[in-house]
This record gives sequence, C-alpha cells and structure tokens, in this order.
Amino acid sequence: MTTAIRNYCVFLVRCARVAFVGDWRYYAWMGALTVFCLLGLNAYCRQFAHGLVTTGMSDQVSWGVYIANFTFLVGVAAAAVMMVIPVYIYDNEELHDLVIFGELLAVAAIFMCLAFVTVDLGRPDRFWHLIPGIGQLNFPASMLSWDVIVLNGYLLLNVHICGYLLYSRYQGKKPAKWFYIPFVFIAILWAVSIHTVTAFLYVGLGGRPFWNQAIIGPRFLASAFTAGPALIILALQVIRHVTKYRITDKALLTLRAIVQVSMIINVFLLLCEVFTEFYAGGLHIASSKYLYLGLHGYHKLVPWIWTAVTFNLTAMVLLVLPVSRSLKWLNLTCVLCITGIWIEKGMGLVIPGFIPTPLGQIVEYFPTLNETLVCFGIWAFGLLCYTIFLRMAVPILQGELSKSNERGELPGTVLH
Amino acid sequence: MPDQPSSGEHNLDPGTEGMTRRSFLRTSAVFGTGLAALAAGLSPLLDIENFPSLQEFMQKYYKELTPEEMKKVLERIEREVEKQYGIRPHVRDLKPLDGVEFVYCLNLTRCIGCRKCVHACVAENNQSRNPEIQYIRVLQMENGSFDTEKAVHDYNPEKVPEKGHFYMPVQCQQCKNPPCVKVCPVHATWQEPDGITVIDYNWCIGCRYCEAACPYWARRFNFTKPEIPKDRLNPEMDYLSNRPRSQGVMEKCHFCLQRTRAGRYPACVEVCPTGTRKFGNILDPNSEVSYILKNKRVFLQLKEELGTSPRFFYYFDV
Amino acid sequence: MRDSTKTAIVLNILAVVFLALAAGFVLKAWAQPAPLQQIPLVDPEFIKTATVRVSYSELVSAKEDLSDFDCYGCHEKGKPPTLRFDDKHMLIIPEEHKDIVMAHGRNNRNNLCTNCHDENNLERFQTRDGRELKFSESTELCGSCHGPTYRDWDAGAHGRRNGYWNQDMGPNLRKDCVSCHNPHSPKFPGRHPAPPPHILHPPANPPPAAEGEH
Repeated sequence: MTTAIRNYCVFLVRCARVAFVGDWRYYAWMGALTVFCLLGLNAYCRQFAHGLVTTGMSDQVSWGVYIANFTFLVGVAAAAVMMVIPVYIYDNEELHDLVIFGELLAVAAIFMCLAFVTVDLGRPDRFWHLIPGIGQLNFPASMLSWDVIVLNGYLLLNVHICGYLLYSRYQGKKPAKWFYIPFVFIAILWAVSIHTVTAFLYVGLGGRPFWNQAIIGPRFLASAFTAGPALIILALQVIRHVTKYRITDKALLTLRAIVQVSMIINVFLLLCEVFTEFYAGGLHIASSKYLYLGLHGYHKLVPWIWTAVTFNLTAMVLLVLPVSRSLKWLNLTCVLCITGIWIEKGMGLVIPGFIPTPLGQIVEYFPTLNETLVCFGIWAFGLLCYTIFLRMAVPILQGELSKSNERGELPGTVLH
Repeated sequence: MPDQPSSGEHNLDPGTEGMTRRSFLRTSAVFGTGLAALAAGLSPLLDIENFPSLQEFMQKYYKELTPEEMKKVLERIEREVEKQYGIRPHVRDLKPLDGVEFVYCLNLTRCIGCRKCVHACVAENNQSRNPEIQYIRVLQMENGSFDTEKAVHDYNPEKVPEKGHFYMPVQCQQCKNPPCVKVCPVHATWQEPDGITVIDYNWCIGCRYCEAACPYWARRFNFTKPEIPKDRLNPEMDYLSNRPRSQGVMEKCHFCLQRTRAGRYPACVEVCPTGTRKFGNILDPNSEVSYILKNKRVFLQLKEELGTSPRFFYYFDV
Repeated sequence: MRDSTKTAIVLNILAVVFLALAAGFVLKAWAQPAPLQQIPLVDPEFIKTATVRVSYSELVSAKEDLSDFDCYGCHEKGKPPTLRFDDKHMLIIPEEHKDIVMAHGRNNRNNLCTNCHDENNLERFQTRDGRELKFSESTELCGSCHGPTYRDWDAGAHGRRNGYWNQDMGPNLRKDCVSCHNPHSPKFPGRHPAPPPHILHPPANPPPAAEGEH
C-alpha cells in the first residue's frame, strides 16, 4: 500500500517538475498568462473589498459577463464528451488518445466555471452554505443546487478518467476496463446533463419570458457542441505544432464533422427562435426586440448580436463547403464559431433577459475595467491549467515520462 | 530566426546538469518578482473594514438556531450596530402571530404617485441611501393600459397626479407560490406562516438568482457597503427585517415585520396621504382587507398568469 | 540566437514585468472603484404622518385655539346671515370668509352655505333631512350624502388607518373626513412628488427620451 502511495507521489512530483520546464516560447506563454492571472487576482481583491459595485451590474441587470462566461464554459466542458462518443461508441481509434486532451480541456473549463461563479457571489466566504449536510443545499427545488452537484461531479469524473488513464500509461500498465469504461459512459450522460441543468437555470424562470422557452435547452447543447470541438481542433493543432505528438488530419476532420452538424442545428434553432418571437409579436418579445433591433432608443447590444449572427452564418457556410477541409480555412472557421457563439451565449442570452426589467425599465449594462480584468484573469488561469495538463500528458502518452525512466532524464520539449 | 536542433544543446532538466549560477539567479529573480507581484496584487484586501467575525462566519442557519443561540446572535448584532453607528439598537426576533395571514390591498383610484411610501419605507427599514435602495417602485402608468413597458419610473413633474395617468406602486408581493424561494440554492429566503417571505441576511451567499427569478423586480442587492446616516437610523430592529444589512446580500420588502408582528401597520400604510394602502389579516373577517376583498369588484393581481399567487391585490373603487 | 539566450531574455523581461505589476498594484494605478454619485437625502418632514388639516375634534383634544369656530363672536344670535348671489346665481363669498373657495361638487351642485350649515344656529350643521349635528360630528354630515364612502370609511377601506391593525394589541386610529379633505373644496390639490429613483451606474450619455411605441 505504501509503495503504491509512494509511487503515485513520485509520479505527481515528476509531473509537477515537468510543468516548470520548457523552452523560451513556453516561458513566454506561461509568463504572459501569469501576468494576466495576477491582474485578475488584484482586480478580484478590489471587488472583494468594495463589493460588486466595481462591476457594471445593477439591480436591473444583476448578472453580467461572469455568468455569461460561466454559461459558455459549461458548454465547452460538456463538449469534451463529443469526442468520447465516437471513440467509445463508434470505436474510432483515431481519436482514442485525443479523448484525454478533450477531457483535460473539460477539467480546465470546469475550473474556470467554478471560478466565474465564485467571483460572481456577493458573499463567497459563505460558500460552505452550499455543501449538503453542513449547509442547506436547496436540492431538488433550486436548479443552482443541481448545478453545484453536477459540475463538481463532472469534475471528479473527468479527473478520475484522465488521471487513471494517464497514470496507467505512466506505469506502462493496461488500464482495467471496469475502472474507467463505466465512468466514461456516465460522463457522456453527465456532460449532457451539466449543460441542460445550466440551461434550466434560465428556462425555469417564469418571470423572464425571454428565457422561459423550451428551445433554450437544445440551443445550449447545439452551440456547446459547436464551440467545444472547435476549441479542441485549435488546441490539437497547437499540440501538433509544439510537440512531437502525432495527430492525424483525419482526427481533425472528424471533429470538423461534429462542428459542422452542430452549427447547422444551431443556426436552425436560431431561426426557430426568431420566427417564434417576431411573427406573432406581443408584449413578451420586448427583450428580443431590444437585442436584435433596439428598444426605445437603447441599442447597445444590436451590433454585437448581428456580428455573432454573421460569424455563425459564415462559419456554417464555410463548414458546409469543402474549402474548410484545408487547415487554414478550418482554423478561421473555428475562430468564427467560437467567437460567434461566445457573443451569442453571453451578450445574446444573459443580458437581454434583464432588459427591460419585469417592470419595464431599461438600464443597459457594460462591463467595467475591473470586471474585464477578472475575466481575463480567470481565462488566463484556465489556459494556464490546460497548458500544464498538456505539458504533463503529452510526454506520458508518448512514453517519454514513464515509470521505466524514473531515475533518468526529464523530457524536454523537442521542436520540429 | 531558424530554430536550432535542440537535443544536445538544450537540456532543460534542472536535475541532471545543474544550473549555472546565472540561470539560478535569473530563476530566483523571476520567482521573487512574481511573489512580490502576488503580494502586491493582494493589497486591495487591506481596504476591507469590518471583516466578518468568526462567530458571524460560523453562524448557523436561522431555523437551526436554538433560542439561546439566537439571543447571543441578537446581542452580537446589537454590539456591531452600536460600534458602527454609535446607537445601541433593540434587535428582536418576533415570531409570526397565530391565526394571521397578511394581505395587502392597494386602491389604484387613490394613489397620486407622491412617493411618500417609498421614503417612509427607506427610513423605517434602514435602507442604504447611497447606493440607493428602495423597496417600493412607483410606476406612472397610462390610463387604459397595464403595459409596464409604457410605465415611467422617473416621473418628476411639478405636481402629481398628472392627467391621463394612474400610479401603481410595486413592492414584494409576498407570493403564495414564490419563485424566489424555489430558486435560492441555500434556503436563505423562505415563506413564514404569516405569509411574509423573509431573508436570513447572515445566510445569503449573494448569488442573485432570486433577483433574476422575481417577476416583480422586488428584490434588491447590496452592491457595496450600505450607507445609512447615523442620525436617521431606526433603532427598533428585527433579525429578519430592518437590521442593517452587509455588503453582498439580498434584501426586500418584508411587510415591516418588526411592526406588523407587533400588531402595527407597516410604514408605507401609515404615511400614505390618500389612504391608498390597506393592510391586515385576511383570516379575520372583520379586517379592512377582508371587507375590501368581499365588496370591491375590479381586482388585479400583477402577472397573475405566472401562477405566483401574490398576496397583493390592486383594485379600483366602485 | 541560441535557445538558452532566448530563454534568458524572456525570463529577464518577465522579471521586469512582474516588478512593474507590483508597482502598479501598490500605487493603485488602474481600475479604482469610481466614487458613488451624491444623492441628496429626503427631507424628514416629507415622511411625517401628520394629515394636511386638523379636525375640530383633534383641536379640542389638543386644547388648541378654537376661535375659528366661534361664529357668534362676529355674527348676531337670532339673525341668520344674508347670502348674496351674482347675476349667474353663483354665491359671493363675503370678505370675512375670503379664504373659503366653494368647490364642493361639480356643476355648482353645492353652491349654498346652508346645504350644510344651519343658518339659524351657526354652531350646528344641518343635514338634508333636517338633523342637527355638532362640529365634532362633521363626519356624520359628510356621510349623510356620501353613503358608500362613509360605509367604506367605517369599514376601513376609505381613508387612512394608523396605529394597530390588531386591535387586541393596540388602538386602531381613524380620522375624520375633514382631517384630509377641505369641506368646501374636498378634492385634493396636486403635490410635488419626491425625486425619482437613481440607478447604480448612470450612463454618460443617456439616449434621447423616445415615445413608447410597439
């Protein structure tokens, strides 16, 4: 037993040491991320001391970029499962190891989600009130309580699966199927659930007709499965570029197919939403009018949403055309997808739900500098985590970091 | 700049070759300055006044406090308020009266939109003056329509009421089926037996989900430390109602339970110059609210279609 | 350039950047919380619960000066005052009572003092059906015509109630009609409202006020 623990500790220590070692590009990247993390931490300390008045939020628009980013990132986390399905259900060997990269992205995304929710709380020191048994978690009535449970559960699931697979590879052992395959299938269902639960946070509010619509759940999943794999396509290309890890074009094109179908569904659902709102009209479409057309002289969000719609439509067209099979165009398409969906889920979903207020008042929202620094800080932290995860995982998967060379040299990053 | 082949020249493992002194100094410099930046980055935390005490941090949920523990909590609150405002308040924990369910009736024929109720409430319930928190919002509506999109919130004419308009004050409707209670992740808000939806200010985590859920825009959040002028503090307080709140928690109309559970009218009812506001116990057949609900005809419950069953009845006189 | 040199340069730059950051943090160089707008406090007089007028009964309980109600201080006993009308048969208010504006009811329905006052006994009111009422019973006088309103007032639905809703715990207070309504022109004049509410982050340039249209 103690040998097992000792071995595991050695493994962790070696992984940690590897994370601090790299070439000048690695130091530059990690250094820049650290700078943004520090900026964000400082901004958050200011917010903690002075309160959420340092943000652009108000009683009229009481959720802003923090929850917008949270919503987007839950989708990214859920989308990691989109790689799992082809591998485990359709036995696609091409993607086999890449599943780990996807799930590591999910772990980093969940860290970011938890961070965004924490910085949004008025009293984060009271987080223990959420712990079932010690606090008073309002399960099952409150959808937020569901979110707390499913997000943390998803985090544990992915940490277990990745950790176990990587450690088995490190040890040179074949992983025991019963110790991870059931969890993989649970993770597939769980991934759908985390994003559905997050959607239900909004859908369940009868007082906000912009959100209280059945299409929000499917829309969330469609957009998540577009933006998530698009992010993974970009991440895999970075790995291809800076390490010797072999990633075939076929793997990237399989992911492209997922993004293609998901984006078509996403655009179709957008069409459904827009028709439902604007054809019959009525008083309850005030938020949609504010978003797409402007309302009573207020139109801050109109350029944003139309940019997002343009990006999404362009990306859809490019995805359908064979031109996006070339990597240059594929990368552009992925950037369009990610940006378009980030705007749509953030500015296009969270903010219009508050404008106008249930009593008809219009107060617009724009994030403050402090708020933006906190967001950058959390994104930088997430990227930092993901880079460290990859910095540990790639050598393990390539066999360079393994038990057999425990006393030997640590791998450097070998450039092409 | 072409990349050099790196296998021999570029050994990055600090364990094997041993670092040169220069690279060691450089690494230490980076770490050192990084740590300095980290420490400096945390410096805004020094601006915090009134860091919550350990007792406040560990305080149990309201419904789990024994009477002795509650007594200690009330004393602690009295001490904290005295320390901050220089006045020793009287903080109680009034329980709901038996056989009482509160209902509010508001006569839309009579409201002139003077906003006295708004400010009487602010004074009675120790609300922040800056940033401004007001539980009651008076809407200037157009005759003939209940469309809140046409409502004006910031009317300020020389004289009210203005022709062609009626005035509708909105505050927490103390719904029978409250969406805010349903969505709170920590049970910080709940409905009491006398119908009042209350908040345990020491339990709220400030997630603002209830504010998003409320269809009447009735809940307010403390975006920063509330500011109450010392000479305007109302020292007659209750744990669940008008004791001073802290930064980062929610608050809302609670039917002045420090008054109503002692048998008195809420502040908004007592100040209204036209007798628009009516309050009482619906379970008492002789109360004025029972009379109104029995004898008046045109009733409006705001957003009735949402199924919240508000305890607020707007009506027009015969 | 060798990679190790590039690494060295990067690390040097990083150290400098960290130092600059630390300085920036300590000197509070950016993103400081903006000061809140100054919101003037409301005048405490505005929220006092006193009514605009005081009824005869309230004056008596407060032992205030009742000379306004001493009609025979000026009028002669046994001599009903003469009412004068103009050519449109509108009542001419005498100089001594010029503070009174007759606006009780539309279409000049109540253009006669003796509708309420007893010309033979100025210290009493008279109802339409001939009952006599004292000054302290002015509410009965109003109720003799305004039946539904009187009924509502009695039940608590008209006019303000103060004190205790729970009469087992304290007194429930109601006022006479004349504490709020001027009996000669009972319709309330308009009043200036309290200032409108403020928003937390006022925009730098608010949009021009647009008419609500759909």
